[in-house]
Amino acid sequence: MSYILNRILSMLLTLFLISAITFAVTNILPGDVAMMIMGTQSNPEALEGLRRSLGLNDPLLVQYWRWISGMLTGDWGTSLVFKEPIGPLILQKMTASAMIVVFSMTIALTCAVPLGVWAAMHPNKWQDTTASSAALLGVSLPDFFWGIMLILLFARWLGWLPSSGFVDPREDFLLAARHALLPSLALGLGLMAHLTRMTRATMTGILNQEFIRVARAKGLGERTVVWNYGLANAVGPVMTVAGLQVGYLFGSIIVIESLFNYTGMGWLTYQALLNRDIPLIQASVFVIAGVVMLANLIVDLLYVLVDPRIRLS
Amino acid sequence: MPDGSPLVSIDNLRVEFRGEDGPIVGVEDVSFSIKPGETVCVVGESGSGKSVTSLSLMRLVEFGGGRIAGGKLEFARDSGVLDVADADPEIMQQIRGNEIGMIFQEPMTSLNPVFTVERQMTDGLRLHRGLSQSKARARALELLKQVRIPEPERRLKQYPHELSGGMRQRVVIAMAMACEPRLLIADEPTTALDVTIQAEILALIDRLKRETGMAVLFITHDMAVVAQMADRVVVMFRGNLVEEGPVEQIFTNPQQDYTKALLAAVPRLGEMRGKPAPEPMRLVGQSPVEADLKPARKPEPLLEVQNLTTRYPVKGGVFRRPVANVHAVEDVSFTINKGETLALVGESGCGKSSCGRSILRLTEPTSGKVLLDRTDIIAMNDRDLRRRGWRDMQMVFQDPFASLNPYMRLKDQVAEPLMNYGLASGSELKDRIATLFDHVELPRSFMTRFPHELSGGQRQRIAIARALAVNPKLIVADEAVSALDVSVQAQVLNLMMELQSEFGISFLFISHDMAVVERVSHRVGVMYLGRLVETGSRAQVFENPQHSYTRSLMSAVPVADPTRKTIRDDLNFRPIPSPVFPLGHEPGPSEYTEVAPGHLVLKDNKT
Repeated sequence: MSYILNRILSMLLTLFLISAITFAVTNILPGDVAMMIMGTQSNPEALEGLRRSLGLNDPLLVQYWRWISGMLTGDWGTSLVFKEPIGPLILQKMTASAMIVVFSMTIALTCAVPLGVWAAMHPNKWQDTTASSAALLGVSLPDFFWGIMLILLFARWLGWLPSSGFVDPREDFLLAARHALLPSLALGLGLMAHLTRMTRATMTGILNQEFIRVARAKGLGERTVVWNYGLANAVGPVMTVAGLQVGYLFGSIIVIESLFNYTGMGWLTYQALLNRDIPLIQASVFVIAGVVMLANLIVDLLYVLVDPRIRLS
Repeated sequence: MPDGSPLVSIDNLRVEFRGEDGPIVGVEDVSFSIKPGETVCVVGESGSGKSVTSLSLMRLVEFGGGRIAGGKLEFARDSGVLDVADADPEIMQQIRGNEIGMIFQEPMTSLNPVFTVERQMTDGLRLHRGLSQSKARARALELLKQVRIPEPERRLKQYPHELSGGMRQRVVIAMAMACEPRLLIADEPTTALDVTIQAEILALIDRLKRETGMAVLFITHDMAVVAQMADRVVVMFRGNLVEEGPVEQIFTNPQQDYTKALLAAVPRLGEMRGKPAPEPMRLVGQSPVEADLKPARKPEPLLEVQNLTTRYPVKGGVFRRPVANVHAVEDVSFTINKGETLALVGESGCGKSSCGRSILRLTEPTSGKVLLDRTDIIAMNDRDLRRRGWRDMQMVFQDPFASLNPYMRLKDQVAEPLMNYGLASGSELKDRIATLFDHVELPRSFMTRFPHELSGGQRQRIAIARALAVNPKLIVADEAVSALDVSVQAQVLNLMMELQSEFGISFLFISHDMAVVERVSHRVGVMYLGRLVETGSRAQVFENPQHSYTRSLMSAVPVADPTRKTIRDDLNFRPIPSPVFPLGHEPGPSEYTEVAPGHLVLKDNKT
């Protein structure tokens, strides 16, 4: 119980630090909200008037308090570019991105775990070399390269899947999934490479442990020894790395969503940065950080289920 | 199977491992047999091929990159004799865990950490016997009772980390016994355990053998364990069988030089009875080491430890604040005279290492005084401690692989203390290093080598040379010979005694091994739960032990003499309680009864 409490408290503390850093950094950037609204050529007096009415001349701490209390009470302000309330905007784009994040994680895990275990079962044999080289290839090439290759293959040559665009899953789930599939694959390949390497390393360590030898000495078949005795010990570490990769995914979707013209969170953040939409930048960074931390919190909580040693401490 | 025919007969076994430059031979040519109901001990030092032999019998050697390259491994099954060396993998799976059970060295890692004890105990039964989960569970419970685990019902639901090392090894044994195997292979099953738990586990294996009539193949490096357990002994050296015979014959009338050397290197508890001072061991094939270690007529104290107490905080909660204290060292006082050795002996967790580290202030003690040559070490600031304190006190650690920097040449590692203290430079430095290599009996050609080019014993000599470099008055040797093979251990012990007689160095010798302690020490302190429970001269403590813990420790030590069996089934040692106490807990001071001049025994209500 103290373990869970510990995790939640440390997450709240991190979130607070992130909010403060985000707020401070966006305030150091040249240009302010008033100038964004009225344009660089505007009358200095009118600009000053707007600044005063927006409270931009207040001390930074007061501004921060106003912003963070707004964030926590659901008043997220209005986007300068989209002229829409930020809350519903982010919710909609987050749903779109969540779809490709979940898809790509599913694709990556279902391929990486068996591949990594298979490589670990045959250390330094052709199976291992194949899996390791494939993983190295996946890690070395950037995501957008896979994106371009996938567009060429599945959209241009085979014509099976749409090359770009976003469809709201509430309108047509199947069509939405078809649109999400290629960006998910592009993200999933890089992710899979990381997770394969991780699974291989973890399983290699586990398979050299004494309890694996004991399991073999009991007469258990190799399949039970590896997939049951071994893998049960690898679930925790692999899950932890997968959780950390959620953060990496949110970095990658900025490029991938732009490439596929998929209007999700990455695309939104990119637009906000491009147009110096400061309230939207602040809210997006805060939300993304929150989601990444939530994913890791879920991993930490699941860890309690897969590793009995954590339950007591 | 007709009477008298062997259960296992190994003929000209040869095992090879894949190496970068062709195969490496693990076992060259080994033949011996095991009769039903007998215990055969295979004994040898590291690299002798004893474990490889036992793994070959289970055909587990191939999972470690090995290959049975020749010979026969005949195992008598109900259906006839099977050559394990070329049996099908499916048949081997039927044999493993069913007809042959195996237990390994590390009880801490032998059990799968994420499965319950029940699951690990029952899967073999369900596989080999086709039992239902509830029947398998009943059998598991019966087995846990047979190996005498307290509260067996509760244990089934527990995970391995909730059990102590001794209990885990009992579970592993119960697991191996599950299908009533006709052969039990025990590969160093007690090496990682404390001596009292070792005694209980050895007794357990011996009892199970008598009750079930199974044969036991017992792999060990410890001649004392061999003497206690074996009916017959196989001595191995570098992949070959050196000698084989009944245990009495091996111990009383060994034929081969290697066996004789091995036996000579083993310190035997009780053999120092009546001797006034530590004595170097007489090693076969080496000229005897001369060392006069008689205590001075007017002993001068060098190190005075007074009321030393060291506690570590246990941190917990959200803010990682101390929530309890580990009372590692609790009101310990002793004196080491110039040119003498005091040994601290006890089981793991008794605080002997913490005590050594506290004296050097590698761990800051909570309270107490440490005087070295009447200089107060505790009162020194960091600068004085580095400049003066550590110049007079040096340490040699247990693991010679971890205590040397793998990226530095040996001469540079030995030179480091000399340079740190500005004691020598240029050609003088070179000469000093060369002399130090001579002192620890390493060839000067080793000076430019790196640690990985040396054996464990050679590395420990380097660690000693490094400690000697600054001419310390005191060397703290923390389990300094525990990781070494017996013959190497004997040489390093002799070296330490020789250096002591030559330079008059004092040693604080920290060890768990009673027989080694008896050999090297002038005075002995027995530690238990952070306290010194008994202290006195070697003769007082070993020949007239007074404290109940000292006595039980002594009774648990296996003796390297097959005619003196110390393994008894009625052993029931008290498990060591936890040294963790709530914050603010102040146990009383250590109070002693002086039973003879210098022989102090802790008054028992304090432990």
